[in-house]
Amino acid sequence: MVAGAIYALVAASFSIIYATNKFLHVAHGAVLALNTYFLYFFFTVLGLNFVLSVLLTMLAAALVGFTISKFYKQLRDKQASSATLLLGSIALMIFIDSLILLLFEGNTKTIGLLKVAQGIELFQAIITPLQISIIVLSLFVLLVLSLFIKKSRLGTTLRAVADTPEQAEILGISANQVYTASFIIGSIVATLAGILYGLEHNLAPTMGIKLVFTGFAAAVVGGIGSIQGAVLGASLFSLVENFGIWYIPSGYKDALVFIVLFLFLTLRPHGIFGFKNKIPL
Amino acid sequence: MTFAYLLHLATMLGINMILALSLQLTMGITGLVNLGHIAFFAIGSYTSALLTLHGMPFTGAMFVSALLAGLAGLLLGVFTQRIKADYLALATLAFSYLVHALLLNTHSFTNGPLGLANITKPIIFGFQVGANWAFLIFTTVIAVSVYLILMRLIDSPLGMALQATRDNELALRVLGKSTLKLKILAFVCSGCLAGVAGSLYAHFVTFIDPASFTIMQLIPIVCLVVLGGLGSLNGTIVATFVLILISESLRFLSLPSSLTGPLTQMIYASLLFLVLIKKPQGFFGKVSLK
Repeated sequence: MVAGAIYALVAASFSIIYATNKFLHVAHGAVLALNTYFLYFFFTVLGLNFVLSVLLTMLAAALVGFTISKFYKQLRDKQASSATLLLGSIALMIFIDSLILLLFEGNTKTIGLLKVAQGIELFQAIITPLQISIIVLSLFVLLVLSLFIKKSRLGTTLRAVADTPEQAEILGISANQVYTASFIIGSIVATLAGILYGLEHNLAPTMGIKLVFTGFAAAVVGGIGSIQGAVLGASLFSLVENFGIWYIPSGYKDALVFIVLFLFLTLRPHGIFGFKNKIPL
Repeated sequence: MTFAYLLHLATMLGINMILALSLQLTMGITGLVNLGHIAFFAIGSYTSALLTLHGMPFTGAMFVSALLAGLAGLLLGVFTQRIKADYLALATLAFSYLVHALLLNTHSFTNGPLGLANITKPIIFGFQVGANWAFLIFTTVIAVSVYLILMRLIDSPLGMALQATRDNELALRVLGKSTLKLKILAFVCSGCLAGVAGSLYAHFVTFIDPASFTIMQLIPIVCLVVLGGLGSLNGTIVATFVLILISESLRFLSLPSSLTGPLTQMIYASLLFLVLIKKPQGFFGKVSLK
């Protein structure tokens, strides 16, 4: 469940970027990792107050999102295809990963905010207060995000550009600004996921890749561009991961996600909630 | 000492070149964004290593590993036949992870994360290719043959059809060609060649483990193909030389090893990005990815 909540956040953040920009932003995982390292830097290295550190991290996340969108704009200005953008994204991913290695070195870090608490028993499962707060917080963020996309002005323009960029431009919406906005929002939401993950696990430069591929997979399975779909896909994955290991060796846990993704891509590429005609097949 | 180092470098260069050329077949010539290529390489390596460890002669093992890697290509091709662009990248990536997980977890068979050690140096027709120079010659012969075969292929009617699949799939289908079959064929051939490269790699380094076959190892190869230019074999060869020279010359800057790794990666990434911005079709290529 805890993993599911975090996957859902990552899936939602990825989905926002993918739906508006229409290419696979593989570097999302690296961005997530980088931003979580920022929190480690502010909180553990500089010893700032936790709330302040989180706020600073969010600020940094927004900045990273902004920079990245400028990066992609360079490619987009050259009429790059989505495959070229994907390659650019791979380049960006390597770059950020190496940057983390240079800045923070390869060994694992812990944020160490909370002491390990005694778990309480709920429905025959042991769950710690931290895990409960992770789930509650994630659901809250997802709710806000979903309201934001549905109701707010920026959310509406995001959806407009996602649907038909040309028409949106005719109506005076700057697609470029919307792309930038989607990267900033995506980066912030992913960072929230990274922070929640970092509270429970150790930080490693590669942490983002696993999280984001599961997030991608959840977004694809749930249907791109639908937050409910992302939540559903993520819950499905956390269930598959955790119940799957009853039947097959635990080493296959990671592979299981990819098997499900593979099956979905071949059999139902538009996901559970997505619309058939929206996928460029 | 220096000579041995150069021999090692040249052989690795040859193996990487075979791998990059075989990736060129799916990604460059046929235009399929194939991130599952490292899986073919892995299958080739493990098959060859396991077979020779169980007493099979090298030539046979290499043949079987090419066959198995080709079979994997067939599987991937059949499963992904209707998927395009981004989704194809994602599906092939999933395939990479799948094979990696299999290698990691079938302990009794592949020895899990510990890998396979003591892989024998090859014997070809009774001739022991133990010395590094002999291995280099052997690798060069294979690399040159792969290059020539692909060169012939590009100009053949089949090669034309493959390139047409990349450039205008609809037109080709209107002309009554089965693009699905062509794509699957590209995956199979590409898989076979990568299997050969894998087999060479296993017998050259004599130790393989699943960590040598992750997506991170594929990225430099993708860089080679994109930098050199999609569909341009000569471009790939030039790019291989240039990139190897850059990354190896960093070694002589006497930086701490914790710095060189990430720095090399950063240079790769920046180069790739620059090429994508300035000349998306690569140094020698004529087409950019759709």
